[in-house]
Amino acid sequence: SGELYCSLPNPRNVHFESINMKNVLHWSAPEGTGDGVLYKVKYAVYGVGKWIRKPECRNINRTWCDLSSETSEHEEQYYASVKAFLKGACSDWMETTRFNPLTDTKIDPPMVSVSSTDRSISIVLTAPEKWKRSPEEESVSLLQVYPGIQYNVSVLNKKTKKRWFFSISNNTLVVPWLEPGTAYCVSAQIHVPTPVLDSGFSK
Amino acid sequence: GACRVSMSMREIRAGFTAIKTNIQSRDPIRTLSILSHPHSLHKVKSSDRCCITYQLFTFYVDKVFKHCRTEDLFVNRKISSIANSFLSTRRKLGQCREHNNCVCGEESTEKFKQILANYEGLNVTSAAMKSLGELDILLDWMEKSR
Repeated sequence: SGELYCSLPNPRNVHFESINMKNVLHWSAPEGTGDGVLYKVKYAVYGVGKWIRKPECRNINRTWCDLSSETSEHEEQYYASVKAFLKGACSDWMETTRFNPLTDTKIDPPMVSVSSTDRSISIVLTAPEKWKRSPEEESVSLLQVYPGIQYNVSVLNKKTKKRWFFSISNNTLVVPWLEPGTAYCVSAQIHVPTPVLDSGFSK
Repeated sequence: GACRVSMSMREIRAGFTAIKTNIQSRDPIRTLSILSHPHSLHKVKSSDRCCITYQLFTFYVDKVFKHCRTEDLFVNRKISSIANSFLSTRRKLGQCREHNNCVCGEESTEKFKQILANYEGLNVTSAAMKSLGELDILLDWMEKSR
C-alpha cells in the first residue's frame, strides 16, 4: 500500500463538548484542505497504558465523534485524539487537553413544575439526568453525582415586574402571599458550589 | 469519632482551575497516574478516609508543592496559595490524629504506599508536576465523600 506522508496540516481545536456528561469530541478541519478530508479518532483513559481506536469514527468526514459511552465513568479522566487523511497524505495526531467529565461538563437547567392556589405557588424542581447509553439503562440523576446541588429560583410578578430570588437546597419551594389573578413567571437554575458549575435559567 | 475539618474547598478549586491546563500540559505522560491507578481513591473505605486524606495532604505539602516552581508568576502565586490552604488543613487534620480520630487501616496504608511508588517511579520534578496536575482527582474524591 502507498506510503502515508504526515504532511497534511493538523485538525484544529480538538476538544470535548459535554452537556449532562454526554461527551462529544469536536474539531475543526485542517486549514486550507477543502473537501474530501477523512478522520479517525482514538481515546485513552488517563493513567492507563493504551490508546483505543473508536471504530464508529474511522474514515469519517464529519468533524465530531460521540465518545459518551467510552467516557461514561466520571471518576476517570480522558484524552482523545484525531488524525486527518487526504489523498494519501495524513496529519499528526492532535490531542485534547485532559478531560474530567465531573468538572468539564455543562449542566442543563432543572425541570420546573408549578401548581398554585389563589395566593401561593408551589414549585417542584427536578435535576437533569446524567447521559445514558439507552432508555432501558438505569437513570442516574445529576443530584447523585453532585450531592451539594443547590437551586436558584426566580419568581417575577409580570404586572409589577417585581422579582424575588430564592436559593434552596431541597427541590421544593412554596411562595406565599401572592396577589390573586396575577401572572407570575418562575425560572430556576442549578448551582453546584464546588466544583463550581452553574446551569442556565430554565425558560 | 468522626474527624470533621473545615477547609476552603472553593478557593482551592478556583486556584487549581485557573492553572489546570497550564500544569497538565507540562505532564506529557498519559499512561501513568500518581493517584488514580492502579487503585482508585474512590475505592477507599470510609473508615480509612481520614487517614488517607492526612497522608495525601502531607504528601502534597512535603513532596509536591515545593518542586513545582514555574517560569510563570501567575501560576506560582496560585500554587503557593493552594499550598498554604493545604498546610492549614493538614494542621487541623493533625489535631484529629492526636485525638485518635484518624486511624490508619491496612487498606489506606497499602493505597498510600502505591501512591508513593508511582511518585518515586518518576524524577522529582515530573512526579511533582504530575501530582499537582492530578489535584482535581483528590478534590473530586474529597467532595464526593464529604
